Amino acid sequence: QEKTTITGTVISAEDQMMIPGVSIMEKGTSNGTSTDFDGNYTITVAPGATLEFSYIGFISQSIAIDGKTKIDVSLQTDTQQLDEVIVVGYGVQKKELVTGANQQITGESIAKQNTLNAMQALQGQTAGAQISSTSGQPGEAMKVIIRGVGTIGDATPLYIVDGVQTGDISYLNSSDIESISVLKDAASAAIYGSQAANGVILVTTKSGKKGKARITFDSYYGIQTLAKEIDLLNAKEYMTILNEAYINSGQTLAMSQEEVDQLGEGTNWLDHMIDTAIMSNYSLGISGGSETSSYSSSLSYLSQEGIVSGGDLSNYDRYNFRFNSDHKLLDGRVKFGENLSFAWINKQGISVGNQYSNGLRSAFNTSPMVPFYDANGNYYNTISDSDPWIAGMANPYAYMVYTNQNHNDNQRLLGNVWAEIEIIDNLKYRTSLGLDYNSFSSRTLTPIYSLSTYAYNNQSTVTQSEGKRYSTLIDNLLTYTFDIDDKHNFETMVGTSYYHYNGSSAYGKNVDLIYDDLEHAWLDNATNTDGALMDIQGSPENENKRLSYFGRLNYNFDGKYMFSATFRADESSQFAEGNRWGYFPSVSAGWIITRENFMTSSDNWLDYLKIRASWGQVGNQNAGAFQYLTPVTYSNTNYIFGEDEGVLTPGAYPLRLANPLIKWETSEQLDFGFDARLLNNKLNVAFDWYQKTTKDWLILPSVLATAGANPAWENGGNVKNTGVELSLTYRDFIGDDFSYSVSLNGAYNKNTVNSINTDDGIIHGETGRLWDNSPEFNRVENGHPVGYFWGYQVAGVFQNQDEVDAYGAQPDAEPGDFKYVDLNGDGTIDENDKSQIGNPNPDVTYGFAISLEYKGFDFFVQTNGVLGNQIVQSYRNQANVYNNNTTQILDRWHGEGTSNSIAKVTTDNRNYTEFSDFYVKDGDFLRISTVTLGYDLSRLFKKDNFFADKIRIYGSVQNLFTFTKYTGMDPEVGFTDASDVDGDGYSDYGFSTGVDVGFYPRPRTYMLGLNVSF
Amino acid sequence: ELLTNISNESFYQTQDDAYDALVACYDGMQIATGGVKESFYTASEVGSDDCFGGTGISDGYNYQVIDEFDISRAPSYTDLYNNIWINYYRAIYRCNVLLQKMDQITWDDDNARAQYEAEAKFIRAYSYFDMVRLWGNIPLVTEPTTDNIPQSDPDEVYTVIAEDLLYAAENLPDEVYSSTESGRITRWAAKSMLARVYLYYTGYYSKSDLVGLVSQSDALDHLEDVIASSGHALVSDFGTLWEAADVENYAGENNEEIVFAVKYTYTSNYTGDTDGNLWKVMFGMRGLNQYPYGQGWGVTVNSKLYDLYDSGDSRRWATVISVDDEDLPVDITAQREYTGYYNKKYTPLLTEDGEYPGAAAGGDSDFQLNQMQDYFVIRYADVLLMASELGSTNAQTYFDEVRHRALGNDYTQLTVTQDRIMEERHKEFALEGIRYWDLLRQGVSTAANTIGETTTVYSGGVETTKTIDGAQITATQGLFQIPNTQISLSGGVLQQNTGW
Repeated sequence: QEKTTITGTVISAEDQMMIPGVSIMEKGTSNGTSTDFDGNYTITVAPGATLEFSYIGFISQSIAIDGKTKIDVSLQTDTQQLDEVIVVGYGVQKKELVTGANQQITGESIAKQNTLNAMQALQGQTAGAQISSTSGQPGEAMKVIIRGVGTIGDATPLYIVDGVQTGDISYLNSSDIESISVLKDAASAAIYGSQAANGVILVTTKSGKKGKARITFDSYYGIQTLAKEIDLLNAKEYMTILNEAYINSGQTLAMSQEEVDQLGEGTNWLDHMIDTAIMSNYSLGISGGSETSSYSSSLSYLSQEGIVSGGDLSNYDRYNFRFNSDHKLLDGRVKFGENLSFAWINKQGISVGNQYSNGLRSAFNTSPMVPFYDANGNYYNTISDSDPWIAGMANPYAYMVYTNQNHNDNQRLLGNVWAEIEIIDNLKYRTSLGLDYNSFSSRTLTPIYSLSTYAYNNQSTVTQSEGKRYSTLIDNLLTYTFDIDDKHNFETMVGTSYYHYNGSSAYGKNVDLIYDDLEHAWLDNATNTDGALMDIQGSPENENKRLSYFGRLNYNFDGKYMFSATFRADESSQFAEGNRWGYFPSVSAGWIITRENFMTSSDNWLDYLKIRASWGQVGNQNAGAFQYLTPVTYSNTNYIFGEDEGVLTPGAYPLRLANPLIKWETSEQLDFGFDARLLNNKLNVAFDWYQKTTKDWLILPSVLATAGANPAWENGGNVKNTGVELSLTYRDFIGDDFSYSVSLNGAYNKNTVNSINTDDGIIHGETGRLWDNSPEFNRVENGHPVGYFWGYQVAGVFQNQDEVDAYGAQPDAEPGDFKYVDLNGDGTIDENDKSQIGNPNPDVTYGFAISLEYKGFDFFVQTNGVLGNQIVQSYRNQANVYNNNTTQILDRWHGEGTSNSIAKVTTDNRNYTEFSDFYVKDGDFLRISTVTLGYDLSRLFKKDNFFADKIRIYGSVQNLFTFTKYTGMDPEVGFTDASDVDGDGYSDYGFSTGVDVGFYPRPRTYMLGLNVSF
Repeated sequence: ELLTNISNESFYQTQDDAYDALVACYDGMQIATGGVKESFYTASEVGSDDCFGGTGISDGYNYQVIDEFDISRAPSYTDLYNNIWINYYRAIYRCNVLLQKMDQITWDDDNARAQYEAEAKFIRAYSYFDMVRLWGNIPLVTEPTTDNIPQSDPDEVYTVIAEDLLYAAENLPDEVYSSTESGRITRWAAKSMLARVYLYYTGYYSKSDLVGLVSQSDALDHLEDVIASSGHALVSDFGTLWEAADVENYAGENNEEIVFAVKYTYTSNYTGDTDGNLWKVMFGMRGLNQYPYGQGWGVTVNSKLYDLYDSGDSRRWATVISVDDEDLPVDITAQREYTGYYNKKYTPLLTEDGEYPGAAAGGDSDFQLNQMQDYFVIRYADVLLMASELGSTNAQTYFDEVRHRALGNDYTQLTVTQDRIMEERHKEFALEGIRYWDLLRQGVSTAANTIGETTTVYSGGVETTKTIDGAQITATQGLFQIPNTQISLSGGVLQQNTGW
């Protein structure tokens, strides 16, 4: 029979681009070809044959030639495709053969959420990663906890961007990201050894593809507003409550009822603090490539103002530039390339720290009786007021303006250059040099001002700091892949890595400026020459070096049984000689059951099922530097001899104890899971159970005072996290035009501390964090979750004296006071009656997403949420009776039967100066984080060879609505109390989370956007 | 490698290193005594019959706990003195480390070695004497250790104190005080302190000598030596000792009467420098900034102290601020336990320009931080009265000298007796952190009877009854609360004092 010759072109359905290299096979034969560089093919086949078109990342198609001689094919992309590869440590791997627990998110699904920080876009998409804002202020980092808190120090995962280690990716432009892989279990992460105990996040930036140049332009513009208000007492309510407190405390009225009746709203401070704010972004990208070279480059600008002050004080500007390329030489035996990203960030912000350094908090406390302006239109100064509800108070907006004048300028260059040589077939040597270089400068200005007897500054002050930090990374890898009898497939890799971190900074402060504004806030503008009024500091970063050796063996038999083992050895300068080496092994195995013959009966509903198991150990070295030595310090050490005030003689003493035995913290993790595809690949399921035990926990113990010095970090205790994770995605289409997908993921985690090696088995939280002189309220202790809330349980409010007398345990209480549970039944209320009254760690994190496409229209909803955690809410500084309150206090007890949950008000605030579960609120929420509706205008012109492939316009709302019972402005309180008492550069109270002392809320954003590509 | 700090191994080599280490001991003493509001001074005054807890109407009742020796006033304040407990042990640690390294240091001259060792030992003794008076039962640490040390018998602590002070008294230069840089510890300071320790220990514990090391005649001999050879003398006008009492003629902090003072200056800040007198702000009037007085947090003074003085006694107006006499616009609605009287010896100040003096001198603008007034530990008047009490042959002369200076034209001689010495000490040293211990060394029952009282004060402007139950002082033996955090950290090795 005569054979026929068929020709045609293969294009991608998504972007109409030609696809080179598509495999075309005559079905049932070994006859085949592939498309050329322009996507064209020619094949000669038997009549009546069927052609099979297949290419990585696309759904294969079979087409009967049916007498035709020209067959053009449009292939649908398929992210579920069997040959999909995912990024793993030091390489990529076929997804179906992966035996560890990890999850890859595409850059597309990140970019479409339009977040400043890529990690925010991962919220609700990654089972087992709890991601929360540390503040709603633009540019503040996200807090990422993978599989529960395993350390009380820094729980930040390791970020690897294009192979380069870094600590945070908020500098990255989301549209530059090709994919993000979250490595969750130890088997996936162990190849990063000592850095991987908190999980690893691998970021790959976009690279070029063969084909004609592709140009993209993305832009959006948004307006941000406060999503949820909180009501404070107005002037009339405030004085009513104050009068009641006076009466309840046996005093006469603060103000007569007639005067109170005439009061109006007074000043609503929160209204003054919050303003609408603008957010905008412009990104231009160009990519393309030839047979031997490809490139991808981009330029972008992002600007986001903060809603607190509306951009005057809180603002973030970022310019990004990226250039990635790769080249083949010598017939592809040698490749080289580079990935370079540069970011320039200008930002200014208000303080978003603890109760003493939080720009927003004072708005909750300042009396509404204080006017905003004085008669001359200046910020009101209460210095000559004598009414106690005004005296001593400072206009919080003005105070924020005066004390938050700052400008920060950061430049970051991150990237690598690499080369790869194929020495013999399948034996490749790769070397790369990576750099993460960050230079920063910041300036602050404090003008002369006076707002109250306590809030004033008599000398204009400037500070200026400059510095740089850099790390270099040199990696060398040797990989060899081979098989035996086509059945036994081996991938082997050995490598070395050298890491070196260094840097320096200098800081200066001086007073008496020629110009009193931020623009002129440079040290040279200060006129003061008295050294006592200056401050000069300069120091190197704590240098850190690491040398590592690692290896990996992946084996599979016939694509059915998989086994993988990794091993890494790290030597770190962080520890004393003898303890510097750490060894981190892992093993994992998988079985694709659906490849077995006995599974054919389930073919009609089960397409793919892999079960897998893994075990491994990873490490953490995040402790203060040089803990094995005792530094002798001169800082803050001096005495005054002689006649002259302020003339100091310096002294020196051993700053802290040494711990020569300090070594790695080890996290050991066991994981069982399965991945499945069902119902004709429409339903995708991934499930994992894990148990993560962190041993030799790096803690900063509380030491006995008799030791006489600050403690050194030590390996003291262990914590266990156990949980399950489930991800479901269902994808289908109806007819030719309508496609949809629904995905849901959730994770449950239980966190328990098993032991702490201090005399009392407790790491104590700080006092004075909730209000002035507030008691210790959180701690880390055996048998409890990390950072649990510790205080009294409230059993109600005493309604009358009989109840007080009958109760007995609080003989001094009055009707209207809180009744505390006498937990140990000893007839008195004291510290022994305090117990766990809350847990800041959520039991469940979850999210779901819905995505619809119909004839050029697209619609997308993303949600995220948490269940089972508590938040300590403390807006009011209880040390002062004149501080304002939220309207919650209107429901207080004010006579028998009026309330059993909120105690009466008194001038000494005695019901509110103890920490009880009154302050502990449930933090469950479900947030609709993104809703987007878009339309691709190019569809209208498709037929006419239109210049653009895509012209999509869209409208989007971020943070549309949050379902929660939490009464604060935002239940996603990711703030960690980062106070560093011993000055070693590491937070000593990293476990102190879930505390809302006036959290900068995430805004709601309404935006319009445009995506063009051609 | 440490680039901006020296490692422990390479330090303590030269005499210069030793000097720097010694300065750090002084600094440790400065922080322990001045760096915390709830200090030795605060406990001594609020605990005595001269002050009430006072403070703000909506503050916690921690100062009432101190005042009334009654934890039930604010049961959650179980850590009232944790900071000073820590800071004293830190000061002692610095001394212990230096004393331990003495032999490895290359000394340029042996006199320096003896002098530095004496100064470090004095600071250690001074710290332990504060601690053992406050808490009675404390762990004794004479070498750096991280062990969990149980509380020692007070006699063991007093043995170390006595030995250290004896060493200092013998090894510090035998020269007039003015030959030594002011602020440095002198032989005379050591000898005077030895007498104070002797009097307290033999009084409170009813012993005949100081742990077998110092007899009454030894103690007296040391004082007579100070009187004969130190060069110290009384300033002529009592009021000039206190800046708030006589701004124009202030004698200054290095006047001839000061045998030993802990020095403070205005360079404290919130980034770690602790050089100032932080407790002083507790004793200022709330919200009142009127020359020469700067504001504070309002610990109040018992009206009995004002009434103690004869109207012609110059010490009345130099010691006590009388709101009525001086016509001061104090807002009493914000004040708890208002009496109409405040502390004048240690009150925050204001310049005529309305600035806080520390801020005006270049310190932090925070009025709490920049208080620079030194704490006069021992004045020469104390040397005279102690010598008188210990039975000097010149007892009457010394007694007269102190009274004559105070009373001026109203002076008439009184025959010296033990009771009169104690009354004179009260008048002379009121609000100097001495009175409470003078009561206690006359016996716990004397202290309980004197301090216990029921009186009327104004809280938030409302007349209220204030009761200090003397039985609480008996129950606690006049000792203060051991910080619960330390008991907890010790896993129960440390025991709380009885009554707390």
